[in-house]
Amino acid sequence: MSCHVVAERAAASHKLLTLRAHPLRIALVGQPNVGKSVVFGRLTGRYVTVSNYPGTTVAVTKGRALVGAEVCDVIDTPGVNTLDGTISEDERITRDVVAGPDTDLIIQVADARNVRRALMLTSQLRACDKPMVLALNMIDEAHERGVSIDAPALAAALGIPVIEMIAVEGRGFSELRDALPRAARPHVPAHPHANDRAVWAHQLTERVRRVSTLSLAYVQEALARATRRPVTGLPILAAVLYALYLFVGVFGAQTLVKLLEDGLFGGYINPAATWAADRFIPLPLVRDFLVGEYGLITMGVTYAIAIVLPVVATFFLMFGFLEDSGYIPRLAIFCDRIFRVMGLNGKAVLPMVLGLGCDTMATMTTRILGTPKERLIAILLLALGIPCSAQLATIMGILGGISFAALMTLFAVVLSQMFLVGWLAARVLPGDRSEFILELPPIRWPRLGNLLTKTRLRVWWYLGEAVPLFLVGTSLLFALDRFGALVWIAAAARPVVTGLLGLPPAAAQMFVMGFLRRDYGAAGLFQLAHSGQLTGVQAVVALTVMTLFVPCVANFLMMVRERGLKTGLAILGVVTPVAIFTGAGLNYVLHAFGVQF
Amino acid sequence: MSSMRLAFSSDGLRPLSSLAVDERAVVADVHAHQAGRAERLLALGVTPGAAVTMLQTLPGVVFLCDQTELAVERSVADAILVRREER
Repeated sequence: MSCHVVAERAAASHKLLTLRAHPLRIALVGQPNVGKSVVFGRLTGRYVTVSNYPGTTVAVTKGRALVGAEVCDVIDTPGVNTLDGTISEDERITRDVVAGPDTDLIIQVADARNVRRALMLTSQLRACDKPMVLALNMIDEAHERGVSIDAPALAAALGIPVIEMIAVEGRGFSELRDALPRAARPHVPAHPHANDRAVWAHQLTERVRRVSTLSLAYVQEALARATRRPVTGLPILAAVLYALYLFVGVFGAQTLVKLLEDGLFGGYINPAATWAADRFIPLPLVRDFLVGEYGLITMGVTYAIAIVLPVVATFFLMFGFLEDSGYIPRLAIFCDRIFRVMGLNGKAVLPMVLGLGCDTMATMTTRILGTPKERLIAILLLALGIPCSAQLATIMGILGGISFAALMTLFAVVLSQMFLVGWLAARVLPGDRSEFILELPPIRWPRLGNLLTKTRLRVWWYLGEAVPLFLVGTSLLFALDRFGALVWIAAAARPVVTGLLGLPPAAAQMFVMGFLRRDYGAAGLFQLAHSGQLTGVQAVVALTVMTLFVPCVANFLMMVRERGLKTGLAILGVVTPVAIFTGAGLNYVLHAFGVQF
Repeated sequence: MSSMRLAFSSDGLRPLSSLAVDERAVVADVHAHQAGRAERLLALGVTPGAAVTMLQTLPGVVFLCDQTELAVERSVADAILVRREER
């Protein structure tokens, strides 16, 4: 080590510690699925959702980290494969962050196995003219698969610190913090053409990387193969769906719901609340508001906690497991051809499957799709046909108790409507679809810690999001009932509800609730069915209509945010009539053939 | 663009889609007929000199490019030109 290096370091650390008008702003940048969010979480103590597929992060998250004695702002960005040329919406968000004046320093996070691709990005980041550090993450996985990197040689070639990390285990972070003052502008020759960048990255990689044919990750590789090949992949898909049905539809929607609804709420909470209200609240109006037919406790809280929560929790747990294993993107291989008919490509399987968790979040995830037309179709189909976890809950709860055929009828009708609307939209809407090119993440064993944290946060999020709306909805119903408007609405909706759809008049109010949140409406249907007021056919028809409705107010607002008010209203205008007429058609057909579930 | 013609061209280039499962090759060129296609593939590491191994051909093409597993539709695999591995 020469004095020169020491002096340079002193100058560099001096630079970091100068007084600034604002904290040092550090952006985490890198290819999708290299672990930026894990690094972010460890640096700032803030958890952002971590999964094993590209596109988990589609928006910017900010947090604070302590580096030495200095407080820094850290920004987590959506993954990018490239910063110039045609880029998707999430990539544009990242480009604006790193190229803009709000970033002082860049930590490039890279998958150690894929140094070659990382260097191509380094070369593009050089144009931002900001000091950088390169973090080679998942060094353990690289070793397992026979890849080793000469980090000092790479650091010397680039002239920036190169840190080896295993972020999920917290290894490499003190080295990373220590390296920040030495961040520098990388020595990268100016490459006007992408091809020159590729050649440079290739040559440098050849110098610093050794790849042996020996791989220790046999089991993961065998699983990776099995899940993508049709012969084994389709039976595995069937098994996964069946396991999902058993865990969520039977254990969550039946066993747990029964325990909570009949046991906890029916046996203890509601009788206790009613007893307390009768005794301590003299005003009948207030009493009814809390524990009456449309009472906050007897209806609002009971629906949210006893009927929907158990299913949402079991679903999020299983779903998180699938997310972290890297399984979901592999489904894209099987879906590509079907999605092409709907103007999409296989990549759209990501937002569609995520929609089963929450349509609102999934609407945001459509940012990973290539063209505006694909985004619009995906958002439309999410709003139309993908039931979110809360709604899946009530569907499985009601139809699971009637018959398997009833459940399959609903799914078949909803899927065929999605297919039809997608097919039409692909022809009517202007624009193109993009070609199917998708990176498949490695199969990994999910980490229990991440799985539990993710599930816990999502359940809390559900409670924060849904419970207030359930309470508002219940209050609204209570008010409508008091002013006699409920009877009026039921009468006005009669031609549709009892005429077209063949449902009992009481179902009208469930649709009023359904406009607020589909799952809330479905929870109402759940109680109707439970008290024996719905026949099997009526349950299937009512739930089909409810499933095809726009999911909830939050989803509608997200559509407006992502695509504008006009588009949002247009989607509403398409989805609502499709829902009602499909229900009417289904009712007619089931009766014509004398079907009974 | 006719990839069949290229498959038998004298410089030994053939489309990636013509590789058999487990066959290895090296990327030589990417046809840029479709807007943005070459750029996207380049960004994913499908660049001249990168080693590729075919993993499966049905229902879609899946191949390993360097250390990245990529799934693509057939027309994309037709546009990636490869040559037999040297050595």
